[in-house]
Amino acid sequence: MLRAFAATCLLGALATPVLAQDAARIEWKTLHSPAIEGNLEGNPAERGAYVVTPPGYDEHPDKRYPVVYFLHGYTATPQSYQQDMRFDEAIAQAAAAGNELIMVVPDGYSKHKGGFYSSSPTTGDYENFVARDLVDWVDANYRTLADEESRGLAGHSMGGYGTIRIAMKHPDVFSSIYMMSACCLEPMVLTPEVAARIEGMNEADVAAADFGGLAPVSTLVAWSPDPTDEGFLKADTGLKEDGTLDPLVNYRIAANSPLVLLPQYLPALNGLEGFAMDIGDMDFLLEPNRLFRAELDRFGVDYNFALYEGDHGNRIAERIRSDVLPFFGAHLDEQN
Amino acid sequence: MRTLALAAAMLALAAPAAAQNITAPDAAVPEGIKVENPMVPGPSLEGNLEGNATAREVMVVLPPSYASSPNRRYPVVYYLHGFAISGRDFYDYMQVPTAVADNAAAGREFIVVVPDTLTKMGGSMYSNSPTTGNFRDFVATDLVEYIDANYRTIASREGRGLAGHSMGGYGTWAVGMTHPEAFDSIWAQSACCVSPRSETAESAAAMAAVPYENVDEAGFGMRAGLASAVAWAPNPKNPPYYVDFPVTENGEVDQLVLAKWANNSPLAMVASHLPALESFDAIGLDVGDMDGLVRDDTMIHEELEKFGIDHQWEVYPGTHTDKIGQRFSEVVLPFFAEHLEMGE
Repeated sequence: MLRAFAATCLLGALATPVLAQDAARIEWKTLHSPAIEGNLEGNPAERGAYVVTPPGYDEHPDKRYPVVYFLHGYTATPQSYQQDMRFDEAIAQAAAAGNELIMVVPDGYSKHKGGFYSSSPTTGDYENFVARDLVDWVDANYRTLADEESRGLAGHSMGGYGTIRIAMKHPDVFSSIYMMSACCLEPMVLTPEVAARIEGMNEADVAAADFGGLAPVSTLVAWSPDPTDEGFLKADTGLKEDGTLDPLVNYRIAANSPLVLLPQYLPALNGLEGFAMDIGDMDFLLEPNRLFRAELDRFGVDYNFALYEGDHGNRIAERIRSDVLPFFGAHLDEQN
Repeated sequence: MRTLALAAAMLALAAPAAAQNITAPDAAVPEGIKVENPMVPGPSLEGNLEGNATAREVMVVLPPSYASSPNRRYPVVYYLHGFAISGRDFYDYMQVPTAVADNAAAGREFIVVVPDTLTKMGGSMYSNSPTTGNFRDFVATDLVEYIDANYRTIASREGRGLAGHSMGGYGTWAVGMTHPEAFDSIWAQSACCVSPRSETAESAAAMAAVPYENVDEAGFGMRAGLASAVAWAPNPKNPPYYVDFPVTENGEVDQLVLAKWANNSPLAMVASHLPALESFDAIGLDVGDMDGLVRDDTMIHEELEKFGIDHQWEVYPGTHTDKIGQRFSEVVLPFFAEHLEMGE
């Protein structure tokens, strides 16, 4: 009798939320990504992601929400971004203003500190990890509005690059995008000197490299992979015996540059419901962003642009609150 | 047939001569084969700056049992023509109806579809460009949707193959890598334009100096260069060609323009399109040993090897054109019969 009564209470507890969710909830989750399987760096196919649900998510079991995916930058992780951005507070603040969203921040880190949301057999297919595996997993495990009209993609720096790359290549997944201080828009040019320096690095050198020393290595493994490379990098620098470079290497790298890709992918960008980009006026990436905007203008692509007082990182948390989330609130479809 | 060989010879010799589009006598249509030629609307081509027609003639060759088996659905092979030739003339030259009949007699029934993509410059390059029109999307979406809506096709990826010759072989790579969702298997015959195209300051200046109204007389090689330029480095603000020529104001080669061209080069695209290439049921490519493109096509074969992409590769005795019709019938269609869902 007592046991039966206890069981009834327990059932009741399961059926009804014990505590009202009055704040946004941030959870670290792990999912399996087939797209990352088999990469040559040993980057785990079990990928983490923060999932932030808005206040009231538990109390409204019939409600479905739009989702904003946010891509972090190079050398960083979702955890380091969370320290600065406080995604849960931003989502709670947006919800208080009537803009209820789920936010997802996937792990784009790799052995060389960033997969550039690209598709490489050496690093793994981070592009499809985000555009396919992650989106499928979120839609299967959360009460999302599971179509492109209710999915947004944003990111900062390397994540801003990932945003435009994925928008071009996967036009049916996200309907609105926001690039913050995007990197890597113009083609990176590998010089014979840098190629020779990379060829001379051993694993310890790479592990100890500073930002400037590591960045060309990270982009090389993402954009000029070579599974037949006998060295540990599994990448092709194109350096020949005579000290010159095989020009194909720079073309392969350029085949990942949004500035260069743009004319082929205009239909994808013209099909976006909302397209925004911003950057601080003291950002070291100001000039490539200006060039990219000039290309968008030339081809008549509609987008919103904001130039604000700031550098590459000092106002990102603030702008997520003041501009990015309101932008998605205005463009993503909510539940009827 | 002779005109095609002549034009190929012109390409090989880079002889400056009046350029004309290649024509061929009408193809024989064996008994039992029905051919239709609908004008297929191309929303993807709307607004192109060259004024290329947005509705395109498409040769649709139906197999012998199509009329007598009204409930049967058929696999479709999309077959892309080369430069400076219309879809219809390519269909004629290749004797596509005979190839369909011969394969049907051996138990392999297909619908074969040959779209026309001839443009002002002599060829679309099957690329996406606001100047020429988004022909990449036209083939993979507009055309496929039209054929599936109007014919009894196996209307899924498993029932679709993509093949082409020369510029059409290039198109097979470019459309295949960017629209893998549309096609199950692909075969590129004597593909052109595989490795990135380069220019010297002099050749770039010569290209920029061709008067717009004289393009047709610029010669096959120059015309092919101009067609590539407008397809790969379009500039809606720069009439009359609406292109960025690969030359800077200082007369130097513009490396950004060359990078844009290279970005459309299958050889440079392979490394960033491996999931697409891995997704195909089968890939094939071939080239004649006397074809000037044998080196280029060997390079993409080696790039595929490097990344462990399974493919069928053959260098056969022949030129750029002399065996391609025969090989379409005897090698390419049987390859698709092995890999596509065949219906019944």
